[in-house]
Amino acid sequence: MYFNFYNMFTEHKKKTRWVKRIFIIGALFLVIGVLVAWFIFTDTFDDTNKQKANIEINALDLIKQFETSDSSANKKFTEKIILVRGRVSETEIVDSIINIKMIDTTTNGTILFAFQQQNINDTKSLKVGDSIAIKGSCSGGVYSEILETEIINFKRCLVIK
Amino acid sequence: MKKTIMLFALAGFTTLTFAQKKKTTTAASISFDATTLLDALPKAENKTVVASINPKTGDVAFESIVKSFTFSNPMMQDHFNSAKWLDSEKYPKATFKGKITNLAAVNFAKDGTYNATVAGDLSLHGATKPVNTTATIVVKGKEVKTTTDFTIKLSDYAVEGGAIAGGKVATDPKIIVVANFK
Repeated sequence: MYFNFYNMFTEHKKKTRWVKRIFIIGALFLVIGVLVAWFIFTDTFDDTNKQKANIEINALDLIKQFETSDSSANKKFTEKIILVRGRVSETEIVDSIINIKMIDTTTNGTILFAFQQQNINDTKSLKVGDSIAIKGSCSGGVYSEILETEIINFKRCLVIK
Repeated sequence: MKKTIMLFALAGFTTLTFAQKKKTTTAASISFDATTLLDALPKAENKTVVASINPKTGDVAFESIVKSFTFSNPMMQDHFNSAKWLDSEKYPKATFKGKITNLAAVNFAKDGTYNATVAGDLSLHGATKPVNTTATIVVKGKEVKTTTDFTIKLSDYAVEGGAIAGGKVATDPKIIVVANFK
């Protein structure tokens, strides 16, 4: 009788220990899962200013590469951080939007730069003809049926002083 | 006196000619809102949209590079461009071509706010579907500002997935297009 009671007691202890372990491991996984989800869903893009340019290129060379073959240029440049040097051809200001354009006047091929909210003020002093460098993420280029020319878009840009 | 009349006539002719010329902009914007109660992340904006309006014929159009849509969350932007969603590598451009169907109700030569009806085709993700909507057109001097919003059914454009079925992404996101022609 005593022997049976002892066995039952040690069995129960073993079970409790396992339940505790499973509970702790489960809780650990839950905490890690919540942390990973929190990190993913609250993540934002890094400030372009802190990112190193993958490629540095002259505006006219970039337009030429897209005009020659936009499929191979898209593979080469899209979603890369690029530093583009060139002259301001136009500043388009609409409400809160300020886009800078660099245009190849021989083909009308156009690069459109949209700026990071925190860097919009830097564009206000720019004038047509200014020689500048802009760093941003290339969104790729397509042939525009409306403008009848190649257009290349950049997002999250800033002017490099 | 003759000179004054001539000048007025010339000014009037110039205004009329300008009002009837096709106008374009590269700073139109499209907002995409597919948020639901379960997820506030699927919304984006593109501020480098090319748009045109022809006051004479009533033709309206816009084009957008799909990868130009910016989300606040990098993972959401990756999903948006992925092969399962808009597959922006295969279909890099979204376009709309349409017409103002009540052109007589809009006077591009006179300042004012006009309600227009627009019918056209939206091409996205390799599919083209008709879109009928209303637009507000504000004419102020040489400037024409157009604003329109409409919803699309993602299933019409073969955009499907677990997040949509699970209610994390709206099945019929709202699209707002604003274009300011100078």
